[in-house]
Order: sequence, then C-alpha cells, then structure tokens
Amino acid sequence: MRIGIDVGGTHTDAVILHNDKVVAATKALTTADVVSGISQALDTILADAAIAQSQIETVMIGTTQFTNAIIERRELSPVAAVRIGLPSGNGLPPMLDWPEDIAGAVDGHSYMLHGGYLYDGYKVDDLREDEIEALIADLLKKKLKNIAISSAFSPMNASPEKEVAARIKAAIPDARMSLSYNFGRLGLMERENAAILNTTLLPFAEKVVTSFLKALSQRGLTCPVYISQNDGTLMSADFVKSYPALTFASGPTNSLRGASKLTGLQEAIVVDIGGTTSDIGVLQNGFPRESNVVVEVGGVRTNFRMPDILAIGLGGGSMVSQEGQKIGPQSVGHRLVNEGLVFGGKTLTATDILVASGKADIGNIPAVADLEPQIVANAQATMHRMLDQNIDMMKPGGKAMPVILVGGGAVLVTEGLKAASEVYRPENAGVANAIGAAIAQIGGESERLVSYRNASREEMIAKVTKEATDRALTAGASEKTIRTVDIEETAIPYMDEASTRLRVKVIGDIAMTDQEKRAAS
Amino acid sequence: MKIDVHHLDDLALGSVFLATGGGGDPYVPKLIAEEALKKFGPVEVIEAEDLNDDAYIVTIGGVGAPTVSLELLPSIEDAAKTLEAFEQQVGRRVDAVASFEIGGGNSLIPLVAAAGRGIPVVNGDGMGRALPEAQMMTYAIAGVKPTPAIAYDYAGNITSFSTSTTEVYERHIRSLAMSAGGMITTAEHPMSGRQIKEALIPGTLTFSIELGKILHENRGNAEELLKPLQSIFEPSIYGDCRCLFMGKVIDKSTRIIGGYDIGEATIEAFDGVGDTLSVSIKNEYLFAKVGEKVVATVPDLIVIVDYETSTPINAERLRFGQRVAVFAVGCPDFYRSKRALDVVSPRCFGFDVDYVPLEDLG
Repeated sequence: MRIGIDVGGTHTDAVILHNDKVVAATKALTTADVVSGISQALDTILADAAIAQSQIETVMIGTTQFTNAIIERRELSPVAAVRIGLPSGNGLPPMLDWPEDIAGAVDGHSYMLHGGYLYDGYKVDDLREDEIEALIADLLKKKLKNIAISSAFSPMNASPEKEVAARIKAAIPDARMSLSYNFGRLGLMERENAAILNTTLLPFAEKVVTSFLKALSQRGLTCPVYISQNDGTLMSADFVKSYPALTFASGPTNSLRGASKLTGLQEAIVVDIGGTTSDIGVLQNGFPRESNVVVEVGGVRTNFRMPDILAIGLGGGSMVSQEGQKIGPQSVGHRLVNEGLVFGGKTLTATDILVASGKADIGNIPAVADLEPQIVANAQATMHRMLDQNIDMMKPGGKAMPVILVGGGAVLVTEGLKAASEVYRPENAGVANAIGAAIAQIGGESERLVSYRNASREEMIAKVTKEATDRALTAGASEKTIRTVDIEETAIPYMDEASTRLRVKVIGDIAMTDQEKRAAS
Repeated sequence: MKIDVHHLDDLALGSVFLATGGGGDPYVPKLIAEEALKKFGPVEVIEAEDLNDDAYIVTIGGVGAPTVSLELLPSIEDAAKTLEAFEQQVGRRVDAVASFEIGGGNSLIPLVAAAGRGIPVVNGDGMGRALPEAQMMTYAIAGVKPTPAIAYDYAGNITSFSTSTTEVYERHIRSLAMSAGGMITTAEHPMSGRQIKEALIPGTLTFSIELGKILHENRGNAEELLKPLQSIFEPSIYGDCRCLFMGKVIDKSTRIIGGYDIGEATIEAFDGVGDTLSVSIKNEYLFAKVGEKVVATVPDLIVIVDYETSTPINAERLRFGQRVAVFAVGCPDFYRSKRALDVVSPRCFGFDVDYVPLEDLG
C-alpha cells in the first residue's frame, strides 16, 4: 500500500492506495507549520483504513512550499552565482534582469570566469587558475556557502562546472552547490536561473525534508519517501534536499495525473472547476501536455516545463450578469459562503444558478425561488458554452474527446458537453492531487545539441537515452522497468543540415529491492 | 528622436512581429542593448533624407544561428568592436550605422554599436521584415556591394571579406559563423548617404517601437487585435492588414535543408469546421493557403500570434496543439518592384505561383 499526500496552499490532502484502489482519503487544512497538517491527515487516513503502518510501502508527497517560497520571497538564502563562459557574455552577468525584490531576497553575488564550450565541442576558453583562486577567496571572505554554477553548453559538456565545483568543495567542505547541467535544456540564462532559484532554496529544502521525515517517523512510517516533480515523476526525499526547484508546478501535474488514474483514461481533457476559475489541461499518454512558452517563476525566466493549462474565469463563485449572458471573470471566491444568494448574501453567482435550476441542494433554496427562469436558463447555457468553446481550443484535434471533471465546481456542469465524447465525474475527484502524487513514477531526462553528420541518429539517441536512464537510476528508479516515454528532435536553423536538439525522457517504477536501491545510491 | 532604454521593450516586441516567424528571439540582444544604453546613454536616430550624400554608413548585425546565442552569449562590446575593426580596415570613420533587418534581434544590434561609438543610427532597415538571405536585402537589390566587410567573433577574432558577389559573400560568412561558435557580428554593405536613400526601407526603427507599444497595450485575446493593428499598418508604408485565420496547430513538420528550417504547419479552426490553413516555412512564414486558395505570400508579411496573449510566435517555437491567430500585412512598395520580386517572389522560395499583392487576393 502507498500513501499520497498533497500539501497545497489551503488544503493538505492524503490518500491510501492499495493496488491503485483508494482505501482511505481525507482533506485537512494546511497548517502554518505544514507538518501538523500532514500529521493530522495521516492520523485520519490510517485510522479510517484501519491498517498497520508496516503495510505502507512508500509515501509520496506533492508540495507547493518551494514554489510559494519563491513567489512570496521568503526562506531564501544568499547565493553566489558563478558563470563560466568568458570571453562570451561579457557585460551580461547572472541575475541581470531579475525583479529587484527577488534579487534582493536572494542577495545574489555574481562571478564570471573564462571557460566553457561551443556547440561543436570546441573550447570557448580554458579555465584560469588565478580566477578560480580569486573566486574561492571571495566566497570565503563573504562566507557564501550556497553556490550555483553554470557554463556555456554544459548540457553537452559539464566538465567546467564539475571542475570548479570540485575546487570549491575542497576549499569550502560545507558548501551547497547546484550545477546548471542538472537542470537540462539549452538556454544558458534560463538554465542558470533555474540553478540559482534551486540554490537559494537549499537550506529551506533541508529543513522541509527533515520535517516531512520527522512527521512520518512520528507516525511510525519508516518506508521510503518520495516527492513529486513538475513533470509528474518522483524524486527520493534525499534528492529533494539537492533539487527543491524541481517541485515547481507539481500541483497541476498531480491533479491531471490523478484524474487519469481515477478514470483509467490516457487521452482526455481534464477540467478542474474551482471557486474562481476552471483550469483546462490535456492528458496525452497519461501525462499532461507541456506548455511551450518560457516559464517565469516569481518573475524569473526559467527553462522549467510546465503543464499547458488554460484558465478561464468560471467557477462556483463567478458572478452572473447581463441576464445570465455573462458569467465571470469576477468571482466572490472563498467569500461565496457569505455573499452568494443561497448563503444569505446579495451577489448572484454561478452556484445560485445551479440551485435555482433544481439540480443541487445547497444553502437556502427559497432565496433563489424568485429568479426569472429565463435568466437561469441563459446562465446555464452560458456556462456550458464557455466550457465547450475552451475545451475545443485545448483539444489536440477536431474529434470529440473524453472530458474528466474534477474540483468542487464540477457540479456546475449539469448537461452534456458538446466538446466531449463522454463526461467523467470520478469518485474521489476532490483528492486527485494526492492520488496523482501516489501513482507517480521515477523519470530521467537528457538533452543535447547533436549532429547526425558525425554519428548516426540511432547512436545519438542511444547515447542521450543512456544519460537520461542514468539520471533516473540516480533518482531511485528500478532499472528493469525503465522505458522511453518521449524523444523530441528539434532541427536548428542556420546550422549544419544535421544539427538537432535531441531530448529524451525515460520513466520507471520505484526501485523496491535492496539490490535495486543499492544500484540507485 | 533619441532611443532610450525605455523604448527597448516596445522595439523588441514590434521587431518580433515584423520578423514573420524568423529573426531569432530578441531577448538576449535586448539585454545587451539595455546595458549599452545604460552605460553610454541614448542613441540619436537620423532619417535617411537628413544624411549628407557623401556620408559613410555601414550596416551591422549578428549572422549565424540565433539558437546558438542562447548559450554563447554576446558581449556588450562586440558591436562597437566590430565597427572599430571595420573603420580600421577601410581607413575612415563611419558616420552612422543601419540595420540589416528590423525583424528580430538584428533590430537592436546597430543601437549597441551606435551607443558604444557615439554615432547615430539610421531610421530604417534593409528588409522591413525578416528574410533568410543576404541577396534579399534591399541594399543588395539596390546594387550595394556587401564588402569590404568585417566579422568579429566571441573571442575577438577578426576576419575581413572582399568578395565578388553577394551570393559568394553569403556562403563565406555562413561558413565562418559555423566555425566561430555559430554566431558572429558583421559590419557590411558600406554605402554613401546618397546610396542609402535609394536602398533603405525608411522609418522602420521608429515604426517598430510604435508597433510594439500597440502590441503591449493590446495584450490578451487575439480576437481584439485586428483593429489596433490596422490603425498602425494602414497609414504606413505597409498598408493592408488582415486576419487570415484563427485556430489550433494540428500538424507541424520541419527539417533543416542547407541551414534553413523548412517545413509546413497546418492550422484548423477551433470548431474543426471548414478548410484548414497551411503555412509554409523557410525560417520565416512565407506562404499561406486556406484549403487550396492562396491567401498571402512572401514578400507580404505573415505573422502568427498566440491566441490568448497575442504574443507573436517564432516558427521554431510553433508547436502542435498551440492556439493561434494568423495575420497578414502588405509589404513596403520597394519589394513589389520587378528587381525586388526577381529575388523575393514566391518562386524564389520554390513555390509555383506568381506574387499577387495581399490586397488583390480578396
């Protein structure tokens, strides 16, 4: 049996899964210290399921704490950002275009060294001994111990990053470092930003992971613990101490993955209807379709891939106007329970329309008895039309697709949806995030700029797949279950005909046996 | 007029629109320009007609694969050093610099050089958009020779060129770019004030700033974008502006042939009803059909923007599943002359049709 926990800004959800069946589920409020909320949720599900702690094999946690720390600019530690790439990029130091408040919060110190590689493997320049010594002397003088290191084309050749890291480690044994090549993907500034955001979170990550493990061991849970990443895969709790930034945006991903599990659908549209918005995402092969735009986290450009989510202003608290012809985007949000008509308030909301239609029994029904039937009918048609149009936009092709409704506002959908081949309303949809966390697997990814002129396509794919596999193994995957889930090839214009950006992603089950775990460690 | 740091966001966004899918992401060039203008102060913009006939002007910009400069970052001094090396090579001072192409990152590089050397930048460029080859520039079409030219690489290596024709220059400069890390800065197509008045697409630098301002003000759903676009394009050297299609990308295939990203994207209406729009790509969006009907062709501009945010989408980044709106804009008259169409008509890109101006396509 496995436990999935989702720590959100408002709610902490937890589920116990047995052979993918939900045995127990709960929704608790997230507490200020986070840990007591987790403890309460654990107490509830363990008691409800009436099972012994020893029957739990793994615990998976999804958390928004690291994203929120960046967005709210708290729990961030001072960072030294070291970029290896001179003479290129002179005058464009790390963190150049960061918003002032976050630049201030991370108290960034920038260093630029000669070195790095070109796209074709030729050196930009050699590392310089005097520059490395001066760097280390300054780090020691300023007592900087959280260090992000980046270098030009490091996803293809990370040796300059590794060499400088080794020198720093020798001089400052307790230094915490993030090397940009571990954040994959070409685009030096975005990759470097990802490494810097990660670095500034390292001391907080240590604290968070330690408190998670403490909460679990206090409940007698000593099994392996994993934390979910933005691509719907897991990392071991220890790994998160080094890579907290990889948890960014894991919430929406877990929600989509959970919806897939609850319905058994691999290809579907997922609509998560809340109080203020409906978030529409697409499942492809059981995973969220990724967005292709540059993703900003807390105002900083990064190379993280996020799920492609279309948010529209339609939820249970959306205000109804123009005789029901217009709904949202304004919403009373969490004040629905005071301001909606059926709750004794004065604002006509989507929830009031639902109650007036006779399709739901919420609050004080007579409060909406006087609503004109035409307005109710208009508003219901408007809601369904909004969903139909936007689902159409997200669908990969013209054909109708299954639509999975999750979230508290899913009750607003009372009729069929034209855009849907079938509408699914899975049981336990309220804890889809925790389920998504509980079913996640371990992934690994690698990207290189390759030329098929010098080596065959098969050879290059095999090489990059091996790198991705090694990363998955390091993250705790079982070798025999690893399979390739995505090969992306992007041709590079204005270059040699065979120049391609090649990215491979693999995925595997969690290593369970001691032998497999040893292989992973 | 002077161009200052606060104009750069608008200029960069306007230039992405005019890049018609090519030109590279101006993000890094914009950062360089910001640093240069902060360090050296604003840059004077000079109209071509205000230049003395015997003034000496050179064009400056990046040549190579924009994708590479996402790793091999340019340096703040590259553009000014290129200009300095050019002046040493030809043995005379340059009075003003101009842009190869207003579409994409090369709209910004002349500003960096001009700021560093304290000279003005000419209001205008050699394309009025983005196009893939040097012989398609108005300067080349008007008979300006590409050399003497100077190339400057990331490490400060300097190469000088003296070639017989534009085509040979193009081949040589591309092979140098490949062996110098993928991206170089060049100063080329030197010309007199009298020559540039005949050879330039005028006013595009300040136009791109105005266009970027309008795009910033009209962020959001692309349904609302046509009117503001028409308000700026119709009274300008561009003229007709129309929305060709809205829908989602249901197919995109590209491959690299001779260094060019060649391919096609298919866009289907949101409701799946009716003909699809197909757009052919050779680095830029060049040719659009709805069903079998041609709706826009090079040298007129075809621009694809994100449906929800109205942000122009580069051809490299156009992907399956994206929700987009497709716009077309007429090209400046220069490109409708016979000598220009000889090098930029649809046939020059391998399409078996003659050029019909956008406004005559119905």
